Amino acid sequence: MGAVLNVAGVRHCRVERLHVAAGERLGLLGLNGAGKTSLLRLLAAIDQPTVGEVRVDDVSTSHGGPALRRRLAYAPQRPVLLSTTVRHNVELPLRYRRAPKATRHTLAAAALTRLGAEHLADRHAHSLSGGEAQRVSLARALACQPDALLLDEPAAGLDTPTRAAFFADVEHALADRATTVVLVSHRAEEVLALADRVAVLVAGELRQVAPPTDLVTRPADAAVAHLVGYENVVSARIDEAGSVLVAGHPTGVTAPPGRRPATLAIWATAIHLRDPGDRGLPATVVRVTTGPGRHELTLDAGLPLRAHLPLAAPPPDAGTEVSIELDPALAAVVESLGEPGTG
Amino acid sequence: MSAPPGAALVWELVGRTAAVSLSATAIAMLIGVPAGTALGLLRFRGRRAAATAVNTGMALPTVVVGLVVALVLFRSGPLGSLDLIYTVRGMIIAQVLIAAPLITGITMAAIQALPEELPDQLRALGANRRQLVTRLWLEARLPLLAAVMAGFGHAVSEVGAVTMVGGNIHGQTQVLTTAIVEDVGKGDFRPALVYGAVLLALAFAVNAVLTSVQQRGAAWARS
Repeated sequence: MGAVLNVAGVRHCRVERLHVAAGERLGLLGLNGAGKTSLLRLLAAIDQPTVGEVRVDDVSTSHGGPALRRRLAYAPQRPVLLSTTVRHNVELPLRYRRAPKATRHTLAAAALTRLGAEHLADRHAHSLSGGEAQRVSLARALACQPDALLLDEPAAGLDTPTRAAFFADVEHALADRATTVVLVSHRAEEVLALADRVAVLVAGELRQVAPPTDLVTRPADAAVAHLVGYENVVSARIDEAGSVLVAGHPTGVTAPPGRRPATLAIWATAIHLRDPGDRGLPATVVRVTTGPGRHELTLDAGLPLRAHLPLAAPPPDAGTEVSIELDPALAAVVESLGEPGTG
Repeated sequence: MSAPPGAALVWELVGRTAAVSLSATAIAMLIGVPAGTALGLLRFRGRRAAATAVNTGMALPTVVVGLVVALVLFRSGPLGSLDLIYTVRGMIIAQVLIAAPLITGITMAAIQALPEELPDQLRALGANRRQLVTRLWLEARLPLLAAVMAGFGHAVSEVGAVTMVGGNIHGQTQVLTTAIVEDVGKGDFRPALVYGAVLLALAFAVNAVLTSVQQRGAAWARS
């Protein structure tokens, strides 16, 4: 596809070219308002591009009509279930595809079972909890055995344990990899866990499309680094020898030689604390808190930095002078410092 | 006070009243439900003006409707050649014009009250236009039945327009409401009270049937 979507004069997204292969799992990562849902609705043939074209195989979504949409399944962020039973909800897309009654029953029951929701079949859809409704919405999308499954923040609004269980069920339901999947999320961990490739959207435009490992180790720019979860994205300089300097101090990270400004993305786990006076970046511990399975430190090294220490290690007190050593393998030099777009 | 009206006359008036108002409600429903759905669902130039016109129509004085319809259908009027003035068909036209804006307006509100994402979700599930609209009507079945009940209630209780357009001709265009007005005008309260009670019973019977359908749907939706 290559497409632009404008609504009421506002540009929602602009994608030069994006190809999703059959059977591929593509993640769409971006902040709220970055254009992820707009792009997914284009792929689902719900909206038509203002400029350009979206094609499913060789059929343009502008001309495909219901026949094309019946090859796709779209599960929105907020499940929209009809005021009838769960079973009837899941059977509805099959009814629209003129599936015989017996086939409808079989496929709906199978889809509910795949998502662990078979016990909900006779419940009224509006009596379900948020997690149950998400499961039913996904079962409804899967029941019609689509060529492509388009999921828009399918776990939004779920608490952490329910979210984990939901994605485990999604993984289980899609284990045969027969269906192309496009998953939208603003949570990097969700798309990185499920996708073969991740497309990062910033302010309605694609910034990087890459496999998860490449995206995490080589983010294209500062905005992408922020989105994939780097806790530290800081201004840096590269000297003639290719040494990357932060606040005028060498970091141990290297880049192609040549004086120029740059941005350094550093995972919090890449920051190791040494005694003051040791080689490294001098800093002061500003704040120490306890996070999930770790101590979280805020440091002042002339610019704010965040570091994570294992829970087993005793954390330094606030106000302690330290020297910072970076693990170059967990840091990435990117071209410029830019804020992630909010589109 | 004169004697109560004979059963034959009462049944004749009940039959004509029901025929006129049920026919008008059915026609108004056929116009109002699709029109209200279009106004609630589609975005087009002039939609707001159309919605304002419908909402104004919901509060339209029925005597004004009667006056306009009578002027149009009168023998010297633009549609005079159709010979509809002082006929049951003319009365049905007047009641359609009274009930249709009400049904249209309530339908529009009912469709707009559905989840905003529902039409797109139905399209994404593969619904064609007919399947989408049918499903929206099923989702809005309770307020839609309320719209039909309101339309029928408005039509059956109306007196000014049917008097002007129908002429209250005995044996031809007289209905329960116009018979009540005529008898009260003559100071003859006994038959007027009987007609009033029968009119109430008719309205109750029709609404009981519609309410039963509506509440069965509500109970099923909650189950």
